[in-house]
Amino acid sequence: MIDELKKEIEEVRQSFLNEIAQIQSPDKLAALKERYLSRKKGAVSQFLLRLREFPPREKPAAGQLINQLKATIETELAGREASIGTASGPEAPWSDPSLPASDLPVGRFHLIADIQRQIEDLFLNLGYEIAVGPEVELEDYNFTKLNIPEFHPARDEQDTFFLDGFDDMVLRTHTSPMQVRYMLAHRPPLKIISPGKAFRKDDPDATHSPCFHQVEGLLVDRGINFSHLKGTLELFLRSFFGSGLNLRFRPGYFPFTEPSAEVDISCFMCSPAGTSGAGAASGPNPDCRVCKGSGWLEILGSGMVHPQVLLNCGIDPETYSGFAFGVGIERLAMIKFGVPDLRLLYENDLRLLGQFG
Amino acid sequence: MKINVAYLKKFVAFDLEDPALKELLAGIGLEVAEALTVDGQTVLDIEITPNRPDWLSHYGVAREIAAANGQARFLPLDVNGVALVPQGDAAAAPTAAAPATGFSIAIEDASDCWRYSGAIVRDVRVGESDPAVQKLLISLGLRPINNIVDVSNLVMMTCGQPLHIFDLEQLQGGQIRVRRARKNEKIRLLDEREVALDENFLLIADASRPLALAGIMGGLDSGITSKTRHIFIESACFNPVVIRRAARLLGFKTDASFRFERGMDVEATIPALKMSLLMLGQTQPPSFFQDVYPRPLTPTVVPLEKDYPGRLAGIAITPETSAAILQRLGFQLQDQGSRWQVQVPSHRVDVSCKQDLVEEIIRIHGYKHLQADIPLSANPLLRIDREREIALRLKNQLADVGFNEVINYVFQSPEENALFDPQPQPLTLKNPLGKDFSVMKNSLLAGLLKNTALNANQNWEKVALFEIGNIFGRHQGKIREEKKLAISVYGLQQKKDWRSPEAMFDFSYFKSLLAMLGKRLRLDFAFRKSTHPAYAGPCCFVIEWNGRPCGRCGEVVPEFCRYFKLDHPVFAAEIDLALLFREVKENRFQMWKRFPAVRRDFTFLMAKTVSFEELRACLERLRPEALESFELTDVFQGASVPADKVSFSMGFTYRAQDRTLTGDEVNGIHLEFTGKLVEQLHLIQR
Repeated sequence: MIDELKKEIEEVRQSFLNEIAQIQSPDKLAALKERYLSRKKGAVSQFLLRLREFPPREKPAAGQLINQLKATIETELAGREASIGTASGPEAPWSDPSLPASDLPVGRFHLIADIQRQIEDLFLNLGYEIAVGPEVELEDYNFTKLNIPEFHPARDEQDTFFLDGFDDMVLRTHTSPMQVRYMLAHRPPLKIISPGKAFRKDDPDATHSPCFHQVEGLLVDRGINFSHLKGTLELFLRSFFGSGLNLRFRPGYFPFTEPSAEVDISCFMCSPAGTSGAGAASGPNPDCRVCKGSGWLEILGSGMVHPQVLLNCGIDPETYSGFAFGVGIERLAMIKFGVPDLRLLYENDLRLLGQFG
Repeated sequence: MKINVAYLKKFVAFDLEDPALKELLAGIGLEVAEALTVDGQTVLDIEITPNRPDWLSHYGVAREIAAANGQARFLPLDVNGVALVPQGDAAAAPTAAAPATGFSIAIEDASDCWRYSGAIVRDVRVGESDPAVQKLLISLGLRPINNIVDVSNLVMMTCGQPLHIFDLEQLQGGQIRVRRARKNEKIRLLDEREVALDENFLLIADASRPLALAGIMGGLDSGITSKTRHIFIESACFNPVVIRRAARLLGFKTDASFRFERGMDVEATIPALKMSLLMLGQTQPPSFFQDVYPRPLTPTVVPLEKDYPGRLAGIAITPETSAAILQRLGFQLQDQGSRWQVQVPSHRVDVSCKQDLVEEIIRIHGYKHLQADIPLSANPLLRIDREREIALRLKNQLADVGFNEVINYVFQSPEENALFDPQPQPLTLKNPLGKDFSVMKNSLLAGLLKNTALNANQNWEKVALFEIGNIFGRHQGKIREEKKLAISVYGLQQKKDWRSPEAMFDFSYFKSLLAMLGKRLRLDFAFRKSTHPAYAGPCCFVIEWNGRPCGRCGEVVPEFCRYFKLDHPVFAAEIDLALLFREVKENRFQMWKRFPAVRRDFTFLMAKTVSFEELRACLERLRPEALESFELTDVFQGASVPADKVSFSMGFTYRAQDRTLTGDEVNGIHLEFTGKLVEQLHLIQR
């Protein structure tokens, strides 16, 4: 039965090829197409109707023969159409490439996440490792091991969230406890950044948020000094904000660093690149809205790791020294991108999300 | 701390305009928060860090300015020309030490109260203070009360030491006892509030009753009134931890407790007492004076190698510079060749190690001298951060198809928490900002729904969001903290235009998206039908990989959408990232099959009661070795299909690893395979 079909198909194929070779007009080509490919009466359809008569075992092979015939006919017709045109004429269908582009979907990263990734990339380039820790942290790591014992007044500066039923745990008030975790688990040299969320019991307003993001940095090795801290922060902040930026170190106080420094950057609004903030010849603009006329912007806290913290983590402060810093990502977002109110960063309004990342 | 600049100049002579003074103060760590003009006087509001209680006075700030500015001259502390030596010196002590009155002072526990100095002044006249004193106090934010109380406040603002003055006639039994309170004792404070006491509170008591909460506030009964004739002046130094614990229990602080809990100079009690006596016009020795100082302070001595300041700062500092700065700050140096023994002055309670001394040196030398240097330290290995890479891959994939990342708080309301977690015991905050933020979230999805609602309200037709964050709970008495990826879609997937018809987000789209995310990580997600109160019955699935559940997805139940005032369905998923981090493996190269593939189509009718998932499971089970892949190409229901059935068309691709399969071979395999399918699932072949 299948051999018979094969013979018939071959005959049809030959006669089709003979006919098409002689056709010169689009009309005749259309008629030929109708005769062979019409759904109802076309030669190919006739073969397909006969397919039912075949036993199941032969059906696939038979179907394949018919499909091959159909493919040959379609290919030849298409080729012929291309050379002599179709019945409706040689004109191409209307199209206007100047129609507007489709609005294909585009999504974005949250500004905070995007800044965090940029900072991570900068420090990865400098050979730092990224270490992340839990957001619910041992009080011991968040405070005591960082040289902030119970009843230390510095605990007031970081209004802390406590948890029901877990007296030894807090929502970490900074990313600094990751320093402790990392130092307890590794030997120097240590060179890490630790980005993440931190929490303080502040009512949300334009400059406060009970939940915020920090990037902590820690480097511990032999011979690390305060100038290494300054060089590292200068490289980081100039890379992030622009090469003309100047840094100002001021004495500060953090229980887990000694000496400590508050770091300011020159105001990019009124102390343009190349000048030195408040010390610039022209001086800062007294009406500047960004720095309020001071020429400087507070940007982060830092210092040399306190010897007691090293001791608490099993590192000998006579052999090793180190620096640490913590920078608030929201603060960077507000300063660099002009976001006026911290709360906007947590509303997740697409009108803001669409502007960054 | 408010500093009246004119009053400050009584203790240090310097010639700086206010802006330059501000700059100088900032340079040494005294941040001026605000410069005010009060009644024509300049007052600086200075932020004092908790480590520097010695700055909580005009005298302390003056000492710092004198050390920092070479031109400035530190003036001796005096009252009407009578000098008060700032540090404990016998010469400064009032001379009459004979308690002829039969009055006495006793400290019960020397670890609670380190020193207690007191004096009695008889025949005072209570009235208003001198107008100049009143004006000064007002400029410092204090309310003038009377000439006696004002003296104690002025002494505190001048040299830092808090004093307390009692009405002597209210003291019973001729004695002052510094002791812990007993349970059930009570005291009515100067501000008229009554406090129930226990052993946590340190008291100043007389023979029979509490007179004052030590270091915090006096009692109403023994306070100065217009009828007061004789007074007892207290100048004491308390253990900071004791004061802080008590103030914390009370829930308020006073100017006195704020200072004591930071640590006061134990040597300052006598000069301060003497100062108050002079201010009260007492040039003669008082009728009673006693200084109880059970364990006199041994000065802290810190050894300092002379080159250490330069080494830690990373700049050149000569030993001469270091020594001069330390001496200007009141440190005493004993030269031992390559190092000094540095004796710390008693008011510097914050200095205990050599790093502290280095901060002093570079602070006064100037932080501006610090160099910028990049350390050469290197990690021994640079780890490839797989977790970060996987998370970034997922984030990029989502952003690429139009999803926006959001970040929410980690806490939410109990109602929001109940939506996506049937667990009874959430992790709650002891001291939340309010009920709306009182529970640590156990799912990121309520946050996404809230964000969706906010944006839907702004008439966004399409809201497609994701968030990566931690969720929290309790598990076997411990805190559970897990990293999740949450995704949600709402509204229009495709806006109608001349090219395409409108399409709403549906589960089919959402499932495809999740499958794509899986594929991005080379994980072939399966979706197992499940039930969960947050998801609509027919459309709730557990996302599985390799038989392990790694998340949940579905259509959010309409009640929740109504709760967030959303008009269209929301499709959402939450995926356990920690599990993905574990399961994503690095591939090794595998040679692809070089021999040609053969495709066979298969169209059949299947009962509507059988799900495609069951068919797929059956296909997997019966899968012949040569079957490389299969795909569903068409699903059809129509006139030619019986009402209880659905027509499916599938394509099967066969290929062998080691040879070209012949047509007959493939036909044989295909027929046997499809035959089994027909038999097992009662299919009707078309």
